[in-house]
Amino acid sequence: MINILVALVTVFILQILFYSWWWIILVPLVLGFLERDSAFKASAGSGLGIFLLWFGMAIYQWQNGGEIIVTRISEVIGIGSGLILALATGLIGFLVALVAGYAGFSLRKVLIKEYQIS
Amino acid sequence: MRLFKTILAFVVLLILFNLLNNSQGSIPPLGKFLNPFAGFWQNGEKLDHIDEVLDVKGLRDEVQVVWDERHVPHIFAENTYDIYFAQGFLTARHRLWQMEFQTHVAAGRVSEIIGEKAVEFDRLQRRRGLLMAAETTIQYMSEDPETHIILQAYANGVNAWIESLTPATLPLEYKLLNYEPEVWSTMKTALLLKFMAWDLTGRNSEMDMSIIQATLGEEFVNTYYPENTPRTDPVIPAAKPWRFDAMEPDSIPPSFIPQFVRDLRKSEPDPDNGSNNWAVSGTKTASGYPMLANDPHLGLNLPSIWYEIQLTTPDMNVYGVSMPGAPAVIVGFNKDVAWGVTNAGSDVMDWFEIEFKDDSYTEYLYMDEWIKSDLRIEEIFVRDGDTVLDSFAVTRFGHLVHFGENKLENGHPAGLAMRWSAHDPSNEMIAIRNMNLATDRETFYTAAEAFESPGQNFAMITRDGDIAIRHNGKYPLRGLDQGKFVRAGRDTIGEWRDWIPYEQLPAISNPWSGYVSSANQNPVGKKYPYYLGWDYDDYERGSRINDRLDHLDKIKFGDMQDLHMDNFNKQAELILPFLLKQLDVEVYSGDTEAIINDLQGWNYVSDPHEKAAWVYQQWWQRIEQAIWNDELNIYGEIRKIPTRSVTARLLLRKSKLAYYDDINTPEKEGRSEIINRAFRKTLSDLEEDLGAYGEAWELGRARGTDINHILSVKGLGRTGLYTGGGRGIVNATKKTHGPSWRMLVEMGDRPAAKVIYPGGQSGNPGSTYYDNAVKDWVMGKYYDIHFLDSTDIENNSKLTLSRLRNYQ
Repeated sequence: MINILVALVTVFILQILFYSWWWIILVPLVLGFLERDSAFKASAGSGLGIFLLWFGMAIYQWQNGGEIIVTRISEVIGIGSGLILALATGLIGFLVALVAGYAGFSLRKVLIKEYQIS
Repeated sequence: MRLFKTILAFVVLLILFNLLNNSQGSIPPLGKFLNPFAGFWQNGEKLDHIDEVLDVKGLRDEVQVVWDERHVPHIFAENTYDIYFAQGFLTARHRLWQMEFQTHVAAGRVSEIIGEKAVEFDRLQRRRGLLMAAETTIQYMSEDPETHIILQAYANGVNAWIESLTPATLPLEYKLLNYEPEVWSTMKTALLLKFMAWDLTGRNSEMDMSIIQATLGEEFVNTYYPENTPRTDPVIPAAKPWRFDAMEPDSIPPSFIPQFVRDLRKSEPDPDNGSNNWAVSGTKTASGYPMLANDPHLGLNLPSIWYEIQLTTPDMNVYGVSMPGAPAVIVGFNKDVAWGVTNAGSDVMDWFEIEFKDDSYTEYLYMDEWIKSDLRIEEIFVRDGDTVLDSFAVTRFGHLVHFGENKLENGHPAGLAMRWSAHDPSNEMIAIRNMNLATDRETFYTAAEAFESPGQNFAMITRDGDIAIRHNGKYPLRGLDQGKFVRAGRDTIGEWRDWIPYEQLPAISNPWSGYVSSANQNPVGKKYPYYLGWDYDDYERGSRINDRLDHLDKIKFGDMQDLHMDNFNKQAELILPFLLKQLDVEVYSGDTEAIINDLQGWNYVSDPHEKAAWVYQQWWQRIEQAIWNDELNIYGEIRKIPTRSVTARLLLRKSKLAYYDDINTPEKEGRSEIINRAFRKTLSDLEEDLGAYGEAWELGRARGTDINHILSVKGLGRTGLYTGGGRGIVNATKKTHGPSWRMLVEMGDRPAAKVIYPGGQSGNPGSTYYDNAVKDWVMGKYYDIHFLDSTDIENNSKLTLSRLRNYQ
């Protein structure tokens, strides 16, 4: 739960300030690296956090003056509705953050293992 | 194992990053595009929000902006610099992507945005010389201090807006195509002006005419492509005497058939580009004030080609439309004058076959000597690809546009050079600026003299009660038919050596008829001493406008609106009764009988619900094809066919003609056969396309109008609009082309105007103001404008005020 929240809040602040989409890679990567115990927590935590953030933010934009653009882009992409578009947005966030979280966690395990051997 | 998993995770992550961070073909980079903090989600209506106070770097004084209910900015500035700065800033706020993209198109730089697939387009665009012409022009314009200030102020304003953008507020199209705006320069405005010139004067049939002449002979050309289209009522009444000593052109260049005629390829803007304008004197209006109407017919796109604006300084108060990317108001009015434009259509582009010494293209034959040509090298930068280098020769006959395919009989390489008036430096910017400041007829046309290209029929009215029209522009002095065919660029014959003096151009003011008008038809009758060109629009629109204006009296806005929306098809009135008589009616039954009945009962008004209007149009098209598409299918391309009025005259007058016969069939077809055959084909084609005769055959459904996004991205345009009108009809609305700005002005103590264009002020597809006027435009509605002065600001609750303040 805490992983979800940390990922969500951290990326929210960074994206509000610096916009770039790849914060959803970088932050889960770091969070994953900091996670000691569980690969699941590292990856799913970030994944869910980013899903909630991107899905929620997309819904927020859609409902706050975004109806026209969402309808148009739905047609451009060939996706039926704004909700599906928001879900797709969330899912892409989820997928990327999931992999990044896992990559961060794995990296830690490799490095720490190497450290213990030496 | 763990190491392997880690590497695998990172590889997957890298692949994901790469996929989501870069465009995949036409798919935008999805990571960026879907990012709800900076992707398309941010391009909603909140970008329409108007701040009460905006701090902008670079203004000299405070600027007030009043936004009306359609988001037209009414700008009040203290000085010339600030007004154009604010215009640039606010236009960019609404239309940045469009204005920049258009200049990329003009400059032949589209490959930088969309990659390799645009290289051929860019290459041709460079060879046409728009970039080179803009370079010369900006240098010339910048020599005039006033023009320089205007262009620089506008550029600074655009750049101030660009600087204020964040990844979130970037226009949608940058996100779709994954690139960013570059710094705006005065050069871009010059490019836009040249692009406008190309769009309006680039149409040229010389190559087709040379091919037709070479294949079907001189007599064919003289008979079916006459200088004066039948039934044309010229812009300037044919009876007008011309009281000046005209300059003598050179002798007519001898007939010349280019040796590589087979390879001539046409490439030209939309032949439907045209317009209507008319001005009515106070003697014919209900109010006693003169009135003006204008509707330029152009390709219809979103974002719209026009941006509506009012510009007010202590010495200027002008309202109208601007072109995003260029300062000032191009079509509009101030408190003293109102003006509207139609494309002049006179020939300002000639093609010459040039003989070169060898493949280096560095020397060409002129007056029996080898003359050095300049070689221009163009670098075409290609997104995700290698830079393409192109070079072409520049001769005294213009740029070499087409070359490299064939050799002349003597083994020398040859090419086609394009001489175009827009290649010469000119300062349309100062013309527009001074037109905006004009106070009467004289000051207006003095200003218009500098508007050399594209040539336009400037119709205007003044508060003093004048009405006038002038076939404005810079036109080469020519002999008869000079410029109708490709000529040999070997000597002085056919070379442009002089220009028709401005004061001798066709013009008229305050005629006894009480009105002036133009609709891209031939500007003059046979008495006019200069040859201006021949390939003008057909007679129908001009003639219909004049018919109506002859009969109208006590004219009000409503009458002018009705005339703008007039769907009467003059050509159908002329020829349809005859065509129907030729039908073997007795053989038809069922739906066909109903169709014939509808055609017989049709009142020639092409309203959207008229099925007969669409059937007639399709039938006529097939008749034209049946007569001409066999003989004029030359070297694998259908060449220019004669005008509607020429074909109609033939059908009405000649029962027998060799060209009626389809040369691809063994039978000998006659007039009645081709008319009947075309009719049957029309019905079978339409049935196949639209199903059984019914609602789907209505003009508004079968054709209608599509206003596509400039990039033709599905979902960003407005399609399937239920419209009437058509080619040769005053309401010249077609499938993707039509009245791009309808403006009516009454010049009283304070000008009153009704306007509309098929789009909206915002270029953001996520904005209400992107296409808010489309529905009303289809319905033929207009909006009353607010022509404000500073005292009006406080008294109008519909208006939103914002202030632009300088900060350092």
